[in-house]
Formats: sequence, C-alpha cells, structure tokens
Amino acid sequence: MDEWFRREVLPLERSLARFVRRNWRVDDEVMDLVHDIYAQAYASARSGLPVNTRQYLFTVARNHLINRAKRARIVSFELVADLEMIEHRADLLDTERHLNAREALRRVQAGLEKLSPRVREIVWLRKVEGLNVRETADRLGIGQDAVNHQVMMGMKALADHMLGGAGRIVRSRPASPREEADG
Amino acid sequence: MSRLRKAQERAAQWIVAREEPGWTSRDQAAFDAWLNESDFNRIAWLRLDEGWRQSDRIRALGAGDAAPADMAEPTGLAHVPDRASAGRWWVPHAIAASLVAIVGLGWFNIQLDLDRPAATVATKYETTVGGRRMVGLNDGSRMELNTASAVRAAVGTERREIWLDRGEAYFEVAHDRTRPFIVHAGGRQVTVLGTKFSVRRDGDKVIVSVLEGRVRVDDIGSAGIGRSTTIAGGDIAVARGPATLVTAKSEERVEGALAWREGMLSFDQTRLADVAAEFNRYNRKQLIVTGPDAPDMQIGGTFPSSKPRAFVALLRDAYGVRVEESEEAIRISD
Repeated sequence: MDEWFRREVLPLERSLARFVRRNWRVDDEVMDLVHDIYAQAYASARSGLPVNTRQYLFTVARNHLINRAKRARIVSFELVADLEMIEHRADLLDTERHLNAREALRRVQAGLEKLSPRVREIVWLRKVEGLNVRETADRLGIGQDAVNHQVMMGMKALADHMLGGAGRIVRSRPASPREEADG
Repeated sequence: MSRLRKAQERAAQWIVAREEPGWTSRDQAAFDAWLNESDFNRIAWLRLDEGWRQSDRIRALGAGDAAPADMAEPTGLAHVPDRASAGRWWVPHAIAASLVAIVGLGWFNIQLDLDRPAATVATKYETTVGGRRMVGLNDGSRMELNTASAVRAAVGTERREIWLDRGEAYFEVAHDRTRPFIVHAGGRQVTVLGTKFSVRRDGDKVIVSVLEGRVRVDDIGSAGIGRSTTIAGGDIAVARGPATLVTAKSEERVEGALAWREGMLSFDQTRLADVAAEFNRYNRKQLIVTGPDAPDMQIGGTFPSSKPRAFVALLRDAYGVRVEESEEAIRISD
C-alpha cells in the first residue's frame, strides 16, 4: 500500500499540483489541497488498489476541489461549474516521463543548488559522509538543534524539488512582505 | 501553523530521529502511533521520506569530482557527466578529499514490519558492485558495508546480531556489556562488547581485522567443541575450514585492510593476480591477468578501488605489460 503510494502516486505530484493550481485561485492552498487529495486517495485505496492510478487520483482531486469549493463558498460557482465541466483527458495524456538515472541525478543536483550553503553542507554530511546529528554538530561547531532544524529544512525543500509539487522552495521565513508584517 | 506544516514538521522529525543511533522499540511504537493517527500524517511522512530517499543519489556525485566521467564505470549508473558543474560549489575541500573515490549508488532495502517493535525485526542491507553504505543501528553502533555485500541486522534487548551473508562490513560497536554484539559469518561467529573491526567473507574464508579493542572468533563450523580465538587491535584473523591463522601486531596491515572505507585499495607486495581479484570485487569490468610472469608480479601501493583503468594504465607505463580492453574486461598479459 505504502509502496503503491510511493511508486505510483507520488510521481504524479507535478501534474496533480499543476491541475490544482490551474483550478484554484489561492496559490498558498495548493500544497494543502494536494495533501488532502493524497490522504483521501490513500484512504479509499484501502479497499483495493485502483487499476489506473492516474485516472483515479485525478477523479479524487476533481471531486475534492468541487466539495471544497462548495463548502467554502468563497470561490464563485463559476469555478465549480468549470470543474464539473473539466475534461481531464488533457491531464491524462500529460504523461510523466520516467527519469533515467542521469536525469534523476541532475535533478538532485539542481535541488541541492537551491539550498542555502549551510543546509546543503549539512545534507551532504548526512547523506554522503553518513554523519549523525551529533557528529555533524561537532564537525561544524554548531548546536544539535540547529543541525536538526537545517536537516529538516533541507529534507522538505528536497522533497518539494524532487517531487515537484510546490514548485518553489518553502522558506522558514515568510517570503511576502505582507506576511512579514503580520508576523 | 497549518495542518500541513505541522504534519510535515513532525514527519521530518521522525525521519531524522529514525536515522539516528539510539532508536528504540518505544520510539518505533510512538512513531507507529503517530502514523496510524491519520492518513494525513502517513502521507506527509511517505512523501517526505520518498523525496529524502530519492536524494540519496547525491552519494554518486562524489564520483565525478576527481575522475574523468569515463573512468567511473562501476555500476553504469550515476556518475556526473558534467564535472564543471558538479565540482563547482558544494564540496567543502576537506570533505572532497575524503570523498574522491566514492562511486556508485549503494542501495538498501529495509524490511520493516511497522506493526511489530523494531527490536525484533531483522533489517536487511545490501550494496551493489562498487557501492558502499553507512548504516546506523538502533543501539548506537554503526556499520559500513563494502562493495557487493549483504547483511541482516537484529538489535534486540538481549543481544545484537548481525549476519554477514555476503561481502564485507566494518563495525564500530557501541559499548554495552549487557548485550553482546555477535557477527555470524559462515562458519565463524565473532563476539565483541565494544570495539572497531571489520569482517570479510570470501566463500568459506572469513577474515576479521581489528582496529581497536578485542574480539572473540569462534569456530562454529565443526561439530563438537567450538574452538575460539581472541584477537586484539592490530590483529588479523584469517579463518578457513577448521584452521584460523592470526597475524599479530600488524597495525599497518589492518589499516590496509580497511582502506576500502576511504574508497582505496592498499597492497603490500601482493601478487598482481590477487590485486586484480581485489579490483574485481568493486567493478563490473573485470581485470584478467594471463601469461607466465604477469600474475606473479609483485605490486605495492594504494589505488582508488573504482578506477581499475587508471591502475592498469599505471601498470602499462611502469612495467610495459600488454593491455587489451573489451566491453566486459581488461586483459593484462606479459
């Protein structure tokens, strides 16, 4: 079951996020919606794995967006109508290219480049040198909490990058001036 | 914090904690409880874990750094074709030096039944030809797998057991008098309390090299009374069938035997045929030595295990041997 999710659902994240983004006005909610859709798809698949994961996932996505839109009453009915009209055949044809090893490696490399130098170094020490948190902290002369925090940041950023959903690196600090003023 | 941010934060914490030494069955139970709390938690973890796992590929980046891309052939998998961009920014120099020869992707496979406490589960770790992998065990011990190796580990409350099914592994054992650490390798059983050593299995031959501390090697192959030998730091025990040979006080040779941890092979007046066999453990492209004299040529020195071609080129220049290279093999003859 978990294996199915890893092998068949997660590779669809790029398409799924694009689909949600296209049909949802609030950009900040896209990843939340993607996760809601995942959780629903996971729960429903308990009674039996779908034959066509892609079709299944997009059906769950479409229904979820419709329900959310209806419930929220924030989004206009136009959107709901749009969603109901959606021929998601376009998305079905939009197949994932399977990355070969070299392309996958390039992708990790690009993901690493997006990280801050410190986070990158810590990820490197952990993944390649195999150092644990305490050893990394000793090596860099910083606290274990700091190492932990940065590993976790790196982990989230790399997952976003590898799977492609967020389309940007999520920073710990809010990026927009408006949010900064709020915080 | 949004629900998603919170779930991701927690999932990331679990992933980090699980990779750390000192992960207990109680931790596992807490983790299981969190996973079972909601599908939302579970998928947040699955997604992060998968992305993090895919990032393991960066291990292969160490390869492109020092060698021309065509030298790094072992797995045929992932070397960096673009050296300039690979080496540009991200390797602090001190790290780069120790990483020069890491080639190939070690891969591993955890067979973990989430419903049972982690302590009773044997976890399987493997590396492919040319791969290498560092593994932290629950009790704080660490092991490093060499090329083409397979190991099962079961860390329980009474004892800590490792089965070396194939290949070679180095262990740094966390001291714990109440739980002996036992490595099973073919007809030998190695018992320690806390030390650093490596065990290599080559068919029915078992080689134990001790870096620090003491270990006991028991012969369990023969029926009747098991013979046992205790060896200490700097010792190497070579066991085959009923015989166990101990070479005492040879720190240098122990260091040589552990050079693979740096991606190097170390030889001291070793026959070329044996050197070739050693290289062949790490690479798909095999070195084949023929001729009346070439196999017995004495070789000394330290070489990157992933670069047989560079080694052969050196050999050709220094000794004038004949070299023919085909798709699968490099033939060396007088």
